[in-house]
Amino acid sequence: MNKLKIPAVLVLAYLVLPLAVNGNDYVVSLIVAALTIGGIALAWSMLGNLGGMVSFGHAAFFGIGSYASALLTIKAGWPVLVSMLFAGLVAAASSIATMPALRLRGPYFALSILAYAEIFRIIATEWKGLTGGAAGILSIPRLPEIMGIDLGGKIGGYFVVVTLVIAMVGIYAVIRRSPQGLALKAMHDSEDATRVVGVNATMLKALMLVVSAFFAGLMGAFNAHYINFLEPDYAFSGSWTTLAIVAAIFGGYRTLWGPLIGALVVYLVDQLVFKAILPQGHQIILGALLGAMVLFSPTGLTPLIAKLTRLQRKETANAAH
Amino acid sequence: MSKFASVSALAVFAVLAASTAWSAEIKIGSQIPKTGNLARVGGAMSEGIAVAAEMFNKKNGKHTVSVLTMDDESSPAKAVAAVEKLASDGVVAFTGGYGSNIIGPASEAAEKMNKTYITSGGVATELTKRGLKNFFRINNSEGYARALIGMYTELGIKSVTVIYSTKEATEEVAKMLEKTLSAKGVKVTLHAFDPSTTDFKPIVHKIKLQDRPEAIAMIGYENDYVGILRAAKVLKPDIKNISGVWSLATSKMWSEFPDLMNGVAGTSTLSYPAEFTTPEAKEFAETYQRMYNKAPDYLGIFGYVQSMMLFQAAAKAQDAGTIDKGGISEELRKLDVQTVIGRVRFDQDGDNPEFTHRMGQHQDGKVVLVWPADAATGKMNFPAVPW
Amino acid sequence: MFELFAQSAFSGVLAGAYYALIALGLALVFGTMRVINLAHGELVLLAAYVAYSAENKLHLDPLASLPLAVAVVGLTSIAVYGLLSRIKKDRELNSLILTFGLGVIMTNAILMIWSADIHSTSVPWHHDAIILADLLFAMNSEVFFGVAGLVVVAGLWWWLEKTWYGRALRAVASNRDAAKLMGINPQFTEILSFAVAGLLASVAGIAIYSAKVIQPSLGHHLTVKAFIITVLAGMGSVPGVLLGGMLLGIVENLTVTLASSALQELAGMVLFLVVLLVMPSGLFGRVRRRG
Repeated sequence: MNKLKIPAVLVLAYLVLPLAVNGNDYVVSLIVAALTIGGIALAWSMLGNLGGMVSFGHAAFFGIGSYASALLTIKAGWPVLVSMLFAGLVAAASSIATMPALRLRGPYFALSILAYAEIFRIIATEWKGLTGGAAGILSIPRLPEIMGIDLGGKIGGYFVVVTLVIAMVGIYAVIRRSPQGLALKAMHDSEDATRVVGVNATMLKALMLVVSAFFAGLMGAFNAHYINFLEPDYAFSGSWTTLAIVAAIFGGYRTLWGPLIGALVVYLVDQLVFKAILPQGHQIILGALLGAMVLFSPTGLTPLIAKLTRLQRKETANAAH
Repeated sequence: MSKFASVSALAVFAVLAASTAWSAEIKIGSQIPKTGNLARVGGAMSEGIAVAAEMFNKKNGKHTVSVLTMDDESSPAKAVAAVEKLASDGVVAFTGGYGSNIIGPASEAAEKMNKTYITSGGVATELTKRGLKNFFRINNSEGYARALIGMYTELGIKSVTVIYSTKEATEEVAKMLEKTLSAKGVKVTLHAFDPSTTDFKPIVHKIKLQDRPEAIAMIGYENDYVGILRAAKVLKPDIKNISGVWSLATSKMWSEFPDLMNGVAGTSTLSYPAEFTTPEAKEFAETYQRMYNKAPDYLGIFGYVQSMMLFQAAAKAQDAGTIDKGGISEELRKLDVQTVIGRVRFDQDGDNPEFTHRMGQHQDGKVVLVWPADAATGKMNFPAVPW
Repeated sequence: MFELFAQSAFSGVLAGAYYALIALGLALVFGTMRVINLAHGELVLLAAYVAYSAENKLHLDPLASLPLAVAVVGLTSIAVYGLLSRIKKDRELNSLILTFGLGVIMTNAILMIWSADIHSTSVPWHHDAIILADLLFAMNSEVFFGVAGLVVVAGLWWWLEKTWYGRALRAVASNRDAAKLMGINPQFTEILSFAVAGLLASVAGIAIYSAKVIQPSLGHHLTVKAFIITVLAGMGSVPGVLLGGMLLGIVENLTVTLASSALQELAGMVLFLVVLLVMPSGLFGRVRRRG
């Protein structure tokens, strides 16, 4: 069953979906935007699930990544794909600045990262010589053309983002299964217990933060070259964090695929269905749905579906008797 | 009876079919923020667009337009998606957009489909430096800066303090003011403020005690103006004039904040109550009043002007049979018209080199156009401050 | 220069009292239920819009609209509690998500009901100048709500320390089960804390409507400010909220005077981080037990 899952996802992501929606730029746009959110949601969940830390400021790393990649291509003339990867590293390095916050717990940690995001935003606004200030950067280089596929085009952008997020899921899966990942998961349940068995909790948490920041920065870099415009308010906008949290919670932040599925469902249903019903203020439905989710299925959508299918299977099994 | 009904129904269908055959409706898309932090400005521009459609359809029996609107939620990615969605619904061109960082990607999406995109919501200089063939705008930062500078020069002001919000459009206008005014030998001091600032007393106090300028220029948005003017009203700096840019010299500001506005000047297109010189402006204001039960503000006026020009170009392109082949952009480039906001024509980059804003001053509940001299509807009160 | 400093400090103190008003409701709920109400800023904003409607439709002075605002916002706040109390698992995280969702709902509802235009009271008294010793300048409403902030803080502190209900509230906060054994109905006291938070939000909302300018997207910003002050104060400390608010207000205003207004948010955030990292339990918080 699990062996089949991975090829199935790959076929779906690289063959079925592109063929189904190719030519419909609107839907492709929505999917790319949803996957961008999904990538941040994944980075956020990683920290939340394995590190046990809820961050309200992943926009900080997203914004650093987008600015780093934009500036590397424009000012240093680096190729886009190389600077995207390097931008991820810059975001990871920036997370070192936030590490003192690791001593904090719960909402204190969450809000301290938000404060970092605000600080980074203001630095981006004020450091005019480097970032162009509030006016931002226009005409950021597009993604290149590789092997006849224009990555800067609609469907090309889709392939890039889908590759990024699938690679992230892969790395996440490896981390989860590693001894360190297991230790982190145990720590989520009881920090004291793991300390007794000799796990350096802070070190592991710090590592998770670095990886999470790297992923968020990578998504930021992708978005900068996909949208081609940046300004501090946009790059460090709180909505990058909040939308990602909504998606992660919705899909189930403790599952591997939940954050991505959550992002796709929330974004697409919101844009395609709710927006059609209620052109102005459709976020109301989103808010209500989010609330309902927390109250009725706090573990998220993916576990809920799993539970429902299990129930159904049980029912069919019962019926067979 | 049923026979009669079906016959008449047939007749109606026949008429409908015939009418669509000789005057195909032109579908225009409008990607505009209706929610998010730009909801207010987007809503106002959207009203102007609707008024333009109403007036155009009334006058042009042969061509009619229908405007399909989609909320971009003040987000660049959703703006791109909106442009694509509208295109798949069959629109031939776009009017709307607010914020340079949103207009940028949205207009590039339109360019990829070879469809015209016209706006008044993005003033960044770089927008028209991208070499797009189908991008047009009727206003730009220079026009706002030029109006303020023109007024200061006419008043012979020697020192100005500029208070500006650290946003994209405001910072750009502030920098232009500094550059041009300094070159003219005017002493310019800049004070940037964070967009979330609500108490301006410390800034105004610094201006009062340290800068001591003759005039204060406010480059921000409505809530900033109110904050600065309230602080100034309390601290009473010794200045001769206090002015701003967009959304300031409007009847709405007077009705909401009557105690703050007297003597304040801002960029403006129409006087209030509008003293109309052209029948078009008169009809526009009347239609606006009828549809929205209020006087048009500058965003509505811009939305109206850009859309009306787009509709006219689209109608010409339809007649020429080039509407699907980039004809609208060609026709727009040929236009050179006097509009409610003055002369509009487009250069190769799609910018309007003729754009100069006028300055209007709040005078006892009226907005009097005071600059330039050829558009003035009254004399400027100077020195004049609201305290 | 002295004049600038004096004015800056004075503005900071007034801003601090205003910040305290915004933060108190959040701090109270945080203190009693260990729940951060991310819709708190929206509750404050709702009160401001009620005051706007009362002024426009009923021609009431913003101050006179307090009972109406308390009724609307108090009930909304209790409704928020009603939903929060249904959370079964992982309350810390899930309550954040739930109240965030409620905040989204309220922001959009405000946008739909009142449109995106900016508003502020047009009663001139609120904006007339008060000048102290020819040196310190303020608007009437700023001074009025500065004093009101002090009174409200003192009142709330007295209520929590000296009255039976207040003590019951603190008892539930420190040990829910033990409080139950003492004959305190924990649910009732929690509802009470949300109702009082609604009252505090109403006062704050009217202060904003009187002295500042409101627009629908303001709510989130208010929540963040309120939380920062709550953390500066230390959990559950009512006088701390006032001092934390004032510290923030003075630092922000001095930043404007000495450097630039563009850096005032930066200064506030740096202050927040420094306090948090050096004194994780806040300026006036009690040291928390581990686990």
